[in-house]
Amino acid sequence: MQPPRLSTPILLLTPAIIVLCAVVALPLLLSLYSSFTGFRLIRPESIWLWINFRNYQNVLTDSVFWVAFGRTVLLLTLALNLEMLLGLGLALLIERATHGQRVLRTLLMFPMMFSPILVGFQFKFMFNDNVGLINNALQSLGITQTPIPWLIDGGLAFFAILVAEIWSSTSVFAILILAGLLAMPREPLEAAKVDGCTPWQSFRYVTWPFVMPFAYIAMTIRSLDVARAYDIVKIMTDGGPARRTELLWTLVGRTAYSDGKMGLANAMGYVSILLSIVFTVYFYRKLAAARAQIAAEW
Amino acid sequence: MKRLMMFASVLAMTAAGLGVAGAAGLPGSFPGVTIDAKLIGGQQYEPLYARIAEWEKLTGAKVNIVSKKNGFDLDKEIKSDIASGTISWCVGWNHTSFAPQFTGLYTDLTPLVPADEIAKFVPANIKAATIGGKLEMLPRSQFDVSAIYYQKSLYADEGKKSAFKAKYGYDLTPPKTFKEFSDQAIFFSNPPNFYGTQFVGKEEGITGRFYEILLANGGQFIDDKGTPAFNSDAGVAALDWFVNLYKAKAVPAGTTNYLWDDLGQGFASGTVAVNLDWPGWATFFNDPKSSKLSGNVGVAPQPTGAAGRHGGWSGTHGFSVTEACTHKDAAASLIWWLTNDDSQKIEAANGSLPSRTAVWDWDLQQAEKDPYKKEVLTAFLESAKTAFPVPPIAEWIEISNVVYPELQAAILGDKTSKQALDTAADKATKVLQDAGKL
Repeated sequence: MQPPRLSTPILLLTPAIIVLCAVVALPLLLSLYSSFTGFRLIRPESIWLWINFRNYQNVLTDSVFWVAFGRTVLLLTLALNLEMLLGLGLALLIERATHGQRVLRTLLMFPMMFSPILVGFQFKFMFNDNVGLINNALQSLGITQTPIPWLIDGGLAFFAILVAEIWSSTSVFAILILAGLLAMPREPLEAAKVDGCTPWQSFRYVTWPFVMPFAYIAMTIRSLDVARAYDIVKIMTDGGPARRTELLWTLVGRTAYSDGKMGLANAMGYVSILLSIVFTVYFYRKLAAARAQIAAEW
Repeated sequence: MKRLMMFASVLAMTAAGLGVAGAAGLPGSFPGVTIDAKLIGGQQYEPLYARIAEWEKLTGAKVNIVSKKNGFDLDKEIKSDIASGTISWCVGWNHTSFAPQFTGLYTDLTPLVPADEIAKFVPANIKAATIGGKLEMLPRSQFDVSAIYYQKSLYADEGKKSAFKAKYGYDLTPPKTFKEFSDQAIFFSNPPNFYGTQFVGKEEGITGRFYEILLANGGQFIDDKGTPAFNSDAGVAALDWFVNLYKAKAVPAGTTNYLWDDLGQGFASGTVAVNLDWPGWATFFNDPKSSKLSGNVGVAPQPTGAAGRHGGWSGTHGFSVTEACTHKDAAASLIWWLTNDDSQKIEAANGSLPSRTAVWDWDLQQAEKDPYKKEVLTAFLESAKTAFPVPPIAEWIEISNVVYPELQAAILGDKTSKQALDTAADKATKVLQDAGKL
């Protein structure tokens, strides 16, 4: 009796499946398992200590976690909307440029070339209360006499982080929306002009519906980025002081590596993943609706 | 000819016996061996690391520094290594505050280092380096206890002296109590250009400082039953010390984000009046190349708290060898080299306190010719007399990690001192319960 032979497609896919299992599925399963254990980094044998839902109970009843969760949602909402507005503005301006459009597009991508860690250091220095550029400028201009504790006050520190995030990633929106604008046929705009539409009406009823799918793609990509925001915040404030700027992933990082409670940190991670899923589903729905609308109208 | 040969071999044996550094069998010969090391990084440690090249030349071994970070980040990295089972390195920086949590990571050095070499260390330092009966690290010349660094010119200024006396009713002299310390810090402050003092505002840096003022006030961090007890009146008074300095703007607004390097650079910039800091900064502060205060630095012992007890939170840096190391003899030789007399003299010359008896004597001798060094050593010796380590529990760092955000919350005005300490005590109790200690 001959052993069953695998079909050619399965054989060809096997290496990819093995790699995916090794680098994605296995770590995911291991982390899911460890979220039900009392796994502590400095006691590797504790990975076998099964504690049922205790980690999840701790996470769901921990006010620190929920405050960090809420703050992450707020950052996500503000960062995405502001980046989208600024990106749209930049894309519209560049689209109008009659000379040097290529140079402008290249310049636009500069912030994306910096590592988030470097962006964090750069903005940490700029917002430093003692030697920072922002305070020096404000004091030199006579706007304030005392240094503003940018990275200490909860609201101001949140603002500083938001500025750093927006600076580093607005170009993602700008580039994608610009791609949409450049791909847009001219006829509908010209028809709108002939029909007597104002510039705002042309934008609102012709341009915007066309570029909306591009904006939602950018939003989906960036929502995942912001929902897992870590590097810039880690460098600028490390979630502090007094947890005033704690986000989900700085909290998870601290729990896992400072406190060494990897089981608890993994439970936090799994609860947090829900956040990313909710945002992704929301934007995909919006994207699908926008595409359906364009298909119906055009 | 035969006699000449014999003389030559005796000479060679004597030279080998003395060793380049004078210890039997050390540093030894390890050609082809590579020792991976994780070391603490920082400006003050570089002169010591420069000696590694010499050890490599003598032993034929190579040292590969795989990580060089501040102590807190190194602690996190080592925890990850333990969890992932990637302890492939041999030598690690260690500290008496961190050591108790790493059960089984480091080997007992007793069989690897000759007993007469261990006997050359100050017994108290060896005791602190011995955990559960195992000598887990060789202490380096970094016995840490704080003393007060201050700008001498401020205390010699007649105008300031009379203004201070008029305001506070006692003479302006370097502070002897924590109360005088905060009075003076507030008096000298002229923000944003000049601050009375500063403190480390996060991680174990602030928990340790709080711990020392708590004990100086007569409080306990953990009581005799092993329960967190720092949310007492003494604890509230200790935390109020930080809160009042912050409220009075006697410290930079960013102090809650500061770590040790920020403090050192801040005082050296001449914009801070008094600074509680470690001995390792003494030379840096008085060196015109690194400090604006050269020639203007005074040093005084630790102040006392409300209970009349001196502060004196202390710890010792050291180097350890991992159990997993395949060349423990070579690794032990390296850490002996980094903590031997010659190495400790280099570190002590920069101001840090030695952990070898002979180097203490040498250091005191050197100080006879150098009034500043004498003042430094006198102050730190006085502080060392009343020094105390952190509670010897494996959960110290974990407890510190739940306590310091609450201390910050009180300092920044989010909570009262009592509320913050009650929350911190609840969290610390939970840490101990989870660890099966309560």
